[in-house]
Amino acid sequence: MLMENNPERVSELDRHLVEFAQLLRSVGLKISPSEISDAAQGLTILGMADKNKVEAVLQATLVKDARYIPSFQEAFRAYFASKEQKEVWQKETAEKASQWQGQLEQARQDLRFQGNELEITEEQRAVYASLPENDKQRIKDFLDKSAQGTKSGIPVDHTYQPMVERVLRGSLEYWRKRLNEDDPILSPGSTDALLSEVERALREREADVLSRDLKKISPEEWPEVTRLIRRLSQRLATQVTRRYRADHRRGGVEMRATLRKNLRYGGVLVERSYRSRRRARLKIVLLCDISGSMLKYTEFIWQFIYGLSEVVKGIKTFAFGEALIPLSGQLKKEQTFEEMVKETLKISGKEWGGGTNFANALLTLQQAFPAALAKQTLLIIVSDGQTLEGEKAAALLEQIRRHVHEVLWLNTLPKRRWQETPFVQAFLPSCQMYECYTLSHLTQILKQQF
Amino acid sequence: MNRMTLDQFEDALEEIGYITERDDRIALTAFLATELGKPLLISGPAGVGKTEIAKVLSQVFGAPLIRLQCYEGLDETKALYEWNYQRQLLKIQMSQDKLKEEDLFSSDYLLPRPLLQALVNPEKSVLLVDEIDKTDSEFEAFLFELLGEFQVTIPEMGTIRAQEPPIVVLTSNGERDLSDGLKRRCIFLNVEPPSVNKEVRILRKKVADLPERLALEVARAVHILRGRLSLNKVPSVSETMDWAKALLVMGKNDLDPAWVEATLTLLLKSQDDVDLFYREMGAERLLFEASKLGQEERHAHGKQS
Repeated sequence: MLMENNPERVSELDRHLVEFAQLLRSVGLKISPSEISDAAQGLTILGMADKNKVEAVLQATLVKDARYIPSFQEAFRAYFASKEQKEVWQKETAEKASQWQGQLEQARQDLRFQGNELEITEEQRAVYASLPENDKQRIKDFLDKSAQGTKSGIPVDHTYQPMVERVLRGSLEYWRKRLNEDDPILSPGSTDALLSEVERALREREADVLSRDLKKISPEEWPEVTRLIRRLSQRLATQVTRRYRADHRRGGVEMRATLRKNLRYGGVLVERSYRSRRRARLKIVLLCDISGSMLKYTEFIWQFIYGLSEVVKGIKTFAFGEALIPLSGQLKKEQTFEEMVKETLKISGKEWGGGTNFANALLTLQQAFPAALAKQTLLIIVSDGQTLEGEKAAALLEQIRRHVHEVLWLNTLPKRRWQETPFVQAFLPSCQMYECYTLSHLTQILKQQF
Repeated sequence: MNRMTLDQFEDALEEIGYITERDDRIALTAFLATELGKPLLISGPAGVGKTEIAKVLSQVFGAPLIRLQCYEGLDETKALYEWNYQRQLLKIQMSQDKLKEEDLFSSDYLLPRPLLQALVNPEKSVLLVDEIDKTDSEFEAFLFELLGEFQVTIPEMGTIRAQEPPIVVLTSNGERDLSDGLKRRCIFLNVEPPSVNKEVRILRKKVADLPERLALEVARAVHILRGRLSLNKVPSVSETMDWAKALLVMGKNDLDPAWVEATLTLLLKSQDDVDLFYREMGAERLLFEASKLGQEERHAHGKQS
């Protein structure tokens, strides 16, 4: 069997299973050696003559979450494809990789100042390589002109290079956002042909609204997404009311009640009475960022606020940009929630867009609405964390965290961008931050958290 | 218990009236779990027949079914064992001088709950841990020893090993993520709502005298409802059966819009879902889509043959 074998005598089956498990791990599945062993045993029991049975055995033993079934199916299709097919993929991947290397090398040659290579990151070079030719030319022209420029009649020298690099970095950062904000622009897929094929197939499957970025969902799909968000909010609401703080189980014997209960037995402690677990209904306070950087997620935020307010009673909602705007106004007769919010925004002179000052918003929340920040409060923040006065905001958030039950931060910025966003790191210790830009993220968060 | 082959297992399922299809992989995965002696973790939406699988395994192997229904706050005193405190107290009162501590912590004073019952049962049993996702993660961790080694440790008594390891079935509606440790110890089966063909077979097996045409129309309509509308609660197989029974009682041989509307609440159990149905689809459109599905099936069937 797999685990008992001498390493030199690893069978062909074991080798394939380990390789296949590696492929699955690279698309996100967690697979332990004991599960590979189960798969080997399963195949021994059911045989390998029937491909469908082999797939079923491997799926049952290696995939433990329904979310990963599509990844498994694609990996199985790719790994057990014919030799000829694998050779074709291998060739395509090698071609793509060499083409990409060529482009990167060209970028290295192009991005020079007076013959010296510029100090920029590999990703920034990749951004340049992905640009259309005329935009590349514009950058090259800028570099050429800068190299030949003069200051007070004296030609510039290499000491001007850091300045040029700064300008170039800014420009490439702009292009990165325009080209694709979320996916890293590095090599076009993996250099491993099988993995590259699985990734390609999975990208195609991503047409599913659940895994698509919420800002890329088309207007026709919104009614469907709205329903999904409402359903998720409903789940959140029922969980919030059902969930109670997991104190020590059974809380220990309550002596006073126990003695009272046992008086009828002459004081012999026949029956015991326990302290019951504390049931605490959480109060939700929702804080939504409506600044310019969040404009793309307007629809998501509307639906989330609306969905949640519809099903959770007594939820307090605030929007914030440069200042805090309470949205939990009273609904007038025959007024929809959306109309109420729009009216509130109009009265407060605020609209979507504009700058963000989270510190300001938190300070107002603390001073003007102290009752909202109680021990039973679950503070949910929906924001991308891009704000002015971030350090002050982080300090305020830390203070608030100490007064409330929990702070949940749904960040519409992908996790890998958190590092480079100023202040997101500062907010992290004071809250549970989750990336949340697809419905599948929201579903996952609710599953983990509630 | 005699060992079976997969074919024999499938035949046994057929014999007791449990309908499976090759594509749903229920039979193969359940068989694999029993052969490997591993717990079977079944996930899927409510009402697709997850619990039924445990009942069926109990019938196939002629083993008693021991059920633990999970809920939030479930702890070991409800799931595993509890000391019979009152009895211990009586014993203390009765024999105060001659009593040794170990006398009080013996199996006579132990109240076995489902998990322990399954372990100490001298014959093989089927242990169903239903809706494991409703418990908290501490309880899940507590199950590791049982699921991995088929043993439990009672501090006052030591380790109790299963005389005959039970067949363990855990079900989950996916309300929360289960821990990696639990999932690693299990064989996993994801059950989806049945295909039209399978549901027709189930209906015809379970609802006596149901005409094939009505069974087909009912199954197709439910299939459309499940797939096209994002309902809060999709109709379960048992609700489909109730609907078919109701239509049969009314003497219907096929579906018509008026009767769909009259009996809709047998399938859709919340006002939101009913509103959604009328807003987005309506009875006539449902029947039109269902008949279109029938045509597509016939077309595909014609191509195959």
